[in-house]
Amino acid sequence: MASQFSFNAASAQEQQPIPTKPRPQRHQRPDYRHIHRFPLPLTVRPLPPLIPHNPISVISVLLSYLTYFIAPPHHAIHSAYFDSNTSSVHVTDEKTIRALWEMGFFGKGSLSRSEPTWIEQEKKRRGLLGGVTLDEVTRQRRAERRDLKLQRARSEKLIIEQRLQAEAAAREGRTIPDPQANLSAARATNGIATTAEKLSLRKAKEAKILEAQQLAQRDREDAGKTVQSSTTEDNHPTEPTVSGPDIIEGMTITNEEHLQLSNEEAFFLVYGLGALHIFDQDHQTVLSPTFLLRKLCHHSYSPPRDSSTDLKTDDPFLVSYVVYHHFRSLGWVVRSGVKFGVDYLLYNRGPVFSHAEFAVVVIPSYDHPYWSETDERKTECAAKQARSWWWFHCVNRVQGQVQKTLVVCYVEIPPPTQDLGATSASLDIGALLSRYSVRELIIRRWIPNRSRD
Amino acid sequence: MADLDEDAINNSTTGGAHADIDLSDETQDFRMLNNLSFLDTANLSLPKRGEKDFEPNPTVFQADILSASRQAMHNALAYPRLHHPKNLLIGVYAPNGPAPPAISKSLDTVAEEAPAEKAAEKAAPVSIGAQVPADACVYVTKAKGPFFKSLGQADRWSRVWLLPEEALYLLERGTLDIRWPRCAVGDGDEDDIEDSGLPMSLQAAYACLMGRGGLTMERYSVFTGLRRLGYAVLRAPGWSESDEEKVSQAAAQSVARQGPGLAGIFSRFMGWLCDGAPTTAVGPVAGLGFHHSYDRIYRKLSLIPFYDPVTSASPSPQPRLPYAVVWHVYKPSTSFRKSAPPDPDFKIAVINARTTTIPTVSQIWTLLESTPLNPPRPNSQLYVRLKNGYRNVILAVVDQGVVSYLKIADAAFGKEKLYAQRPSGGNKNRGPPRHKFKKR
Repeated sequence: MASQFSFNAASAQEQQPIPTKPRPQRHQRPDYRHIHRFPLPLTVRPLPPLIPHNPISVISVLLSYLTYFIAPPHHAIHSAYFDSNTSSVHVTDEKTIRALWEMGFFGKGSLSRSEPTWIEQEKKRRGLLGGVTLDEVTRQRRAERRDLKLQRARSEKLIIEQRLQAEAAAREGRTIPDPQANLSAARATNGIATTAEKLSLRKAKEAKILEAQQLAQRDREDAGKTVQSSTTEDNHPTEPTVSGPDIIEGMTITNEEHLQLSNEEAFFLVYGLGALHIFDQDHQTVLSPTFLLRKLCHHSYSPPRDSSTDLKTDDPFLVSYVVYHHFRSLGWVVRSGVKFGVDYLLYNRGPVFSHAEFAVVVIPSYDHPYWSETDERKTECAAKQARSWWWFHCVNRVQGQVQKTLVVCYVEIPPPTQDLGATSASLDIGALLSRYSVRELIIRRWIPNRSRD
Repeated sequence: MADLDEDAINNSTTGGAHADIDLSDETQDFRMLNNLSFLDTANLSLPKRGEKDFEPNPTVFQADILSASRQAMHNALAYPRLHHPKNLLIGVYAPNGPAPPAISKSLDTVAEEAPAEKAAEKAAPVSIGAQVPADACVYVTKAKGPFFKSLGQADRWSRVWLLPEEALYLLERGTLDIRWPRCAVGDGDEDDIEDSGLPMSLQAAYACLMGRGGLTMERYSVFTGLRRLGYAVLRAPGWSESDEEKVSQAAAQSVARQGPGLAGIFSRFMGWLCDGAPTTAVGPVAGLGFHHSYDRIYRKLSLIPFYDPVTSASPSPQPRLPYAVVWHVYKPSTSFRKSAPPDPDFKIAVINARTTTIPTVSQIWTLLESTPLNPPRPNSQLYVRLKNGYRNVILAVVDQGVVSYLKIADAAFGKEKLYAQRPSGGNKNRGPPRHKFKKR
């Protein structure tokens, strides 16, 4: 867990007056392979290997069946509740939160960027924990980066000022308006002037780099102290009034954070895995998968539709769930891609292991003959699947910038059927889902300049 | 933690990651042009690009650099471009398409052949050479120079016929001089396409050639852009919808769906034995009770049908314009013969960004299915396999002369079971590779 880090670089630097290695030592990473060893929040009990010609193995298999039959293993079903005001599913139980995050990376901490770490941040902020949360590491890295940029800007500004001064001095020395003379000179002997200029440009560049290095070195030497002091100031802005850690130590911090599951995640956990019970807002009744599906479909519109409306095969929830289920069933960890302007990001094993390689955009497709039966329906469907090339390039360029590959996932929308009606009692979810189909396209820019060999 | 990706900002110095940076998109420091010598052909070298500042500042130094750069640009543009008389090519515009030369009509010295030829002309007016396309409309009598390696088609009288885009391209780059034919200047009869000696202006050439035989501005911008970069570009069979000799269908690869086999049947039986009836109607799909392995859970979860590019090789309809391959593109390194062009390196469909939206499933898959199957190598890495896809095509999206190329491949994610992959691979440190990327 995040709290188990031993990141004491700051305190270590305080004790050592001149650190030989200016970089703070890297904190120990938690053992993610162990923490996230289960890809789904289901426990798996492997059977002993069955070797047909070996009677002992058959016996051992039968024996294990027998033990499971006599003492069925405890099947942990987690619980969450649906909040219809925010159209979202919340998990408040601490154990469930940890389980859902660690086994399959479901949900997001309501007060954290992603993994629910608010309580650790808070404890750290109040000085109860020695470790560093990942959010803090990120924050620190960003602060460092900002400092570096400011510093670079400063040195660039310095060079410009020096140059301005030199130019002013030169102008006064000659009293002739300099720039014009320069210009005409440049025009007259263009070739020579530019080579000279180029030389001076290179020199300026070298000087710039040298200066930056010197500055960086000097800064690094006293970076420890300054960063240290500034972070302590940042971290305890109200400390003087609270006066000391004595009071804080006695306090118990209640965890104000809950895990928020996206609707697709929640439905996948309920319908796909059976690892979650979702209660209604009154925390009394468990929502059945069928009921939950209808509810989530209605809540995929804003404002939510009335519960008496019929389902449509192209309800936004159904379309996005089909894609979510498809990629989850292949073993990808699927998370929201809203920060990158796409629908989903696909992680291999999980976000703590590697960056997402693929970014998925979902586009409904109305290819079934039903959708082009009447002209009215045809135009409506054409409008629903139309996307401009400008939008498309926007998404594609963003993915290039963040080093992801764009995947366009087309979802073939089936024609509506009887059992989608609001009054229909029987809704076979499996049959409904298997009437959709998905196709993926990989899109990349092709740069003719670089494809020539 | 999960969103470290936010910080994964492209850095041009990381190497390998900068495939997306196209220097030709940027404004240049044109002072490099000063070092170009147009006359000294002995030591030609490619110009080096200059450095640039990112913001304006009030120094005279920067202003000087800017004006010097501008001046260099002007100098380069003002340089008089001359036809070297030795290399000058003269072409003649033939408004009615390919036709035999007048010599065979007027000169009776070739009496033995002429009547036969005349008869042939009457029967089929374009029987002047098997290879000459009907859309060709400019011919060059004395073809020379490197361009004709990949441009034009010769007829029986060793005249090289150029397609409108080829003629326009050569005219624009100053290699070709197009002359009006005699018939167009009111000198001679209607079929007389002999050189009248009157040069055609660039404007007139655009007026005459653009729009001819399906040549749109969009197609032409793609053609010239790629030609200038050194590619050989040929018209593809899908050029016009009326074309009957159609895209040579990729030899329908008989990929029979493999049966489950005995072991498969056994494992399926075992699966049935262990899992009981599926519970997909109301879930949970993974089944109640205990589970034996995650692989089995994932297998049960796979409910959503996906498109398999290999097996679903149904006889597809012909691609409809604009989603049809119109250019076959060959790398400069490809050994290339005009008479028998090899398989193209790239296939390009040209799309007008203003009049179309992004393709629908049927449009893009008909287009993809008109290209040959190019399955990923089975022993390559997962990501490489996925990105390679099974078929690929390049879309050139043209917005008023600005071309954006997109490489489209159909990835079959459903065929690559990630859960069955061995968990090892790259990234030995088992952490997000955050230090690979640094913010600038």
